[in-house]
Amino acid sequence: MSTVASIALVSVASPAMAGDVYGPYPITLKGYSGDKTNSVSYSGQVGRQLLHNSLKKAIGSGASLDVTMSYFNGADGELPLLDPKSSDSFKVDVTDINTVSKTNLSGKAYKGSLPGWPGNMTGKEALESMITMAAATEKGYDAEHGYDYVQLVSKFTMGGVFYHQACDNYLDEKMNADNKPNDKPYKDGAYYTGKEHSWDEAFGYWGAAAHGATLSPKQNYDITKKKNMRDADANGDGLVNLKSEMNYAHAYYAAGFDKGGNTNYYNTITKAFIDGRQIITDAKGEKLSDAQRRGVKRHARTICSNWEKVIAEAVFKYAGSVYSNIEAVKATMGGNMWKVNGSAEKTEHQAALRKYAKYWGELAGFSLSLHASGVNLGEIGVKMDRLVGMGPVMPDGTQVNGMSNGTYTVASGKSMDGFAVHMLKLQNLMVEEFGVEARNNDKISGISNLAEVLGSGNSAEND
Amino acid sequence: MIEWIDIIWSDLASQFFNPKKRLFLGYLLSASVIATAWLCLIKRHSIGSAISTFFDRKIWLSRSSRQDLASFLINRVIFFWLRPVLVTQLAIATLIFELLHQQTMIPLGLFEGAGYWTAALGFTLFFFLFDDFTRFVVHFALHRIPALWDFHKFHHSAETLTPLTVTRTHPVEGLIFTARSALVQGVTIAGFVFLFGNQVDLLTIFGVNIFVVTFHGLGSNLRHSHIAIRYPQAVERLLMSPAQHQLHHSQSEKHYDRNFGVALSVWDRMFGSFHHSVSETLSFGIGKETARFTGSIWSMYWLPVSSLARRITRALFANTRQVASAIPRFRARNY
Repeated sequence: MSTVASIALVSVASPAMAGDVYGPYPITLKGYSGDKTNSVSYSGQVGRQLLHNSLKKAIGSGASLDVTMSYFNGADGELPLLDPKSSDSFKVDVTDINTVSKTNLSGKAYKGSLPGWPGNMTGKEALESMITMAAATEKGYDAEHGYDYVQLVSKFTMGGVFYHQACDNYLDEKMNADNKPNDKPYKDGAYYTGKEHSWDEAFGYWGAAAHGATLSPKQNYDITKKKNMRDADANGDGLVNLKSEMNYAHAYYAAGFDKGGNTNYYNTITKAFIDGRQIITDAKGEKLSDAQRRGVKRHARTICSNWEKVIAEAVFKYAGSVYSNIEAVKATMGGNMWKVNGSAEKTEHQAALRKYAKYWGELAGFSLSLHASGVNLGEIGVKMDRLVGMGPVMPDGTQVNGMSNGTYTVASGKSMDGFAVHMLKLQNLMVEEFGVEARNNDKISGISNLAEVLGSGNSAEND
Repeated sequence: MIEWIDIIWSDLASQFFNPKKRLFLGYLLSASVIATAWLCLIKRHSIGSAISTFFDRKIWLSRSSRQDLASFLINRVIFFWLRPVLVTQLAIATLIFELLHQQTMIPLGLFEGAGYWTAALGFTLFFFLFDDFTRFVVHFALHRIPALWDFHKFHHSAETLTPLTVTRTHPVEGLIFTARSALVQGVTIAGFVFLFGNQVDLLTIFGVNIFVVTFHGLGSNLRHSHIAIRYPQAVERLLMSPAQHQLHHSQSEKHYDRNFGVALSVWDRMFGSFHHSVSETLSFGIGKETARFTGSIWSMYWLPVSSLARRITRALFANTRQVASAIPRFRARNY
């Protein structure tokens, strides 16, 4: 086959189109005389994605507080990448996070208050507290209070750092006319403009692969699961470039929801990033006109409203998981909780509780994240926090309700059945207030579907 | 203004184009075919005679039928405004579903392993039976409780019966029917989802409850008609024939308070109100009261309300003995 014929075949077979890939974009900065040809840069954000992945891994493997904090605060010297690690089937191009970017998570964490977490802390303080508490547990699991710090830290880092920075900072005030203008470099010596880099940074926090919009939800999902080297390696160099060929954090969750076929979050958000970036690029290093800024802000709204829905979908999903696991825990409670450690019944009960804590940790991490966008959720936020609780209701009827002198306080006399009802109400809240559509682990649709198919009972008919 | 006229109009149209509704054109057509076939095959009419009998102008264009139409239109408007404040079956189902979590006797998902078909068949059958039984109970109460009978007279004041007579209903009755329906649906949905999980489904034809399609498709609209289709006695002991319901509308004293059932007649047998259909010609209405009650469409709507107001006034101002006599009693109606 001739070379020309091969290229033609590839072009026809591949769904990829230049307009569906984030970058490269030309240098537009006026007066730039260096040798850079691509103005896209978000290595700091990729560095934070890798810090988050590794922090999660470190807590889950029982690493010391020094080690876990090094992934939260950053560290000098080599900072080993714990996830994703190279394997025979999925080779990545990074082993030391500091070679991507020497950065940290703590400096970018949400500094607003977080009433849904014990101790009346800011988002940043809550993360520090969780990491500290995790170090005193076995691999991040606090069986007494039902806390899975692996999930709590991970899910709230995604919201309290990535979502917060993108939607409460880069796509918010940094898109205003006088903030990081497009006719000036982002900072002295930079080769990209203020608006270009602000937009790129938000894209980096979103966590999608640059070519992700050319792939199906399943392909994108499998990339994060390290099951799909072929689709990840867009440039065909035999390695997955973690700066541009990997899906992280909420982008991965969006692909997961889209797999169900009811939603298209991943592409909607990623394409809005691409379209917004094109408007900025088309300004050719001049200040954005009013029309251009309106266009960019419209795309920013699309991004953040859909991003919020992705997180709300996760709240919905894990409320369903917690609901199911309450039943699983109850099924193992027939006196098993009092049996000696090591007995089969006790082991089964402990395993059920472990899963319950894991799912509640994910639920709480995601629900706390919804507070970090800079938009005050008001009554909805209060309702959500009360339904989720500051901890899961445990089989002995206790539930964390605050913190005093660095230790959790608990309320007693709580009912797991009542908590299960909270999960149903939480799913309803996500439907009514956030309009979630993927609805994984749906525990309420049975009722609404049947009500719909039976039809309205409003009738003025006699018999 | 234009918007709500539009909504009312589409609501009106849905009464005839939605197969969930009894007046769906498909059901009216099947009723016409069944009536014509009955007249030709059983009553030995020619096809022309059968059609002219079925579409008898004296029935379809009677004063009573015109009142049916007027009340149908007025009620649609009234319910358009009431609908937003009515409690829905979804709200009731959600509340009961949540309450079920608070009890400990019946575990959640007790029959979750039963499988789709068991759950769906169980739900559909239970709903049909429960719905039909509660219709019987409400209908029974409308006749036997004097204050309710005042409102139900609205329906029974019809002197000719057509399919539209089904909508000849006082709004207060309509509210009672709506509450019953919402409660039955809410309880059934919540109970089944709690026991069987999300696999519960309704068995449907064209998206409508299989029993509803069968009941309406087999001529439920003929219950309110002048075509007295009778079933064999063995069948009438199980299913309510159109002629049995027409007997329920008879103003002959010997037929008072008979055949309250809708689809099934077993409830009437259980509660002693069963009556087979009869071959005699029946006259419909509420006896001597008919003329005064149907004097105008206004009097039809107003008289039950004024009657209730009188009962309340008596109850409030009469002495103890009078109060006792004003309390609704279970007794046969008295024309």
